[in-house]
Amino acid sequence: MMLLPWKRTDTVSGSQTSPFEELVGPLFPSLYNVAFWLSRSSANAEDLVQETLLKALRGFNTFESGTNFKAWIFRILRNTYLTSQGGLAARRTVALEDELNANDESGTAQYPEGAIDHQTPELNLIQMGNQAALQAAMEKLPAPFLEVLLLCDVEEMRYKEIAIILEIPIGTVMSRIARARASIRQTLTTASEPSREIRR
Amino acid sequence: MNDHLSAPILSALADGELSADQLANASHHLSQCPLCTGDALYHSLLKSATAKAGQRYMPTPNLRARVALQIRELSIQNSQDIDSARPIARGSGFYGWAAAAALLLLSVGIALVQYGWNRSATASAQYAALATEACDQHIANLAGNSPPEVISSDRHTVKPWFQGKLPFSFNLPENLPSGTTLDGANLTYLHGRPTAQLLYSVGKHRASVYLQKRSDDKMANGHSTDHSGFHVLDFRSRDIDGIAVSDVDSPRLSDLVSLIARAQE
Repeated sequence: MMLLPWKRTDTVSGSQTSPFEELVGPLFPSLYNVAFWLSRSSANAEDLVQETLLKALRGFNTFESGTNFKAWIFRILRNTYLTSQGGLAARRTVALEDELNANDESGTAQYPEGAIDHQTPELNLIQMGNQAALQAAMEKLPAPFLEVLLLCDVEEMRYKEIAIILEIPIGTVMSRIARARASIRQTLTTASEPSREIRR
Repeated sequence: MNDHLSAPILSALADGELSADQLANASHHLSQCPLCTGDALYHSLLKSATAKAGQRYMPTPNLRARVALQIRELSIQNSQDIDSARPIARGSGFYGWAAAAALLLLSVGIALVQYGWNRSATASAQYAALATEACDQHIANLAGNSPPEVISSDRHTVKPWFQGKLPFSFNLPENLPSGTTLDGANLTYLHGRPTAQLLYSVGKHRASVYLQKRSDDKMANGHSTDHSGFHVLDFRSRDIDGIAVSDVDSPRLSDLVSLIARAQE
């Protein structure tokens, strides 16, 4: 029996959500949040998320069912960001010295012992209760440090997943996270004691 | 004692990413070094604070609707491209009906998708916030090393202590798993709601089990997650919502939680 055209349309556009929509729905706020942090404006974040989702939909047939969809779509988001104007600028201006030291897990190259003031943890803790100060410190992070911190702390991803998304070794993930936290700590310490010199 | 734990090791410790050997070495060092213990606590608290501060931007409903529409249109287009490969007998009289039906279904689809996204995102954000707050309190409790408000391993002492302090009552299991003891309890607040914090020792590990009056929120039952290296496990009974936090291995925490959940029935 031949179906009438509108009945055939029904089978396509019915109220049932597609597998893609079911997978992407819960991740939409996370994608937007990370996109906003990276692109630093709502307009750019909207463009970035839309482009990411459309790319993901077009390439959905290449996604292997049962594998990590979150890592897959965040990788598309990240690659889309890198090819955007803001992403290209970030890549040009940030020196990824941590990659030169990917095997150096001491984490002391950028922040030698003594650069962090161990004597004032209470001040740092007070600063941590101040969301605005913490967000300001995060805003100061270079994109490679910010993205790794967002994926680890906000998206609660494992180092292995982050390594897949960012296409870097796990050692580099570990090193970047440590440097990102050291940088935040330094910013918070400086903010809490503007007149005090940081020991070097 | 000269070799303090490096920043990447302290970070990985907070993230629960150390291997068994690394964890054993780090634990050994922390037991002897107050400086690194302070740093480890700082990293853990910084991780929690960053998680909260990082959840900053929410998409507008307009954006959700627009993107949902684009996705739906593209999906339809893709499906029609596939269909167009087949021979189709189209009755021109049906074009109007087809367009109207497609529009109607599209609207319903968008509304359902948007509703589903909103509900799922809200529930997931609420759960993440609750888990974070429970973890923070547990960590603060460990760091403060202050005694519980009621110190007793006797459930007949701990439960009555909450009389008049909480707008609900709960049961405590008679028998606990081997190696697990009740240390006491605190009256606390989670998400601004009065909560009983039960403190247990599981071997050398400490566990906090938070009990609240069951809320109307849609909360997952038996949801298990890792947060800042701690295992977080929740349960729901007819009258009580519970959430447990500990760094003990998941099966042992799960045993304790199952017994407490069963005691509420």
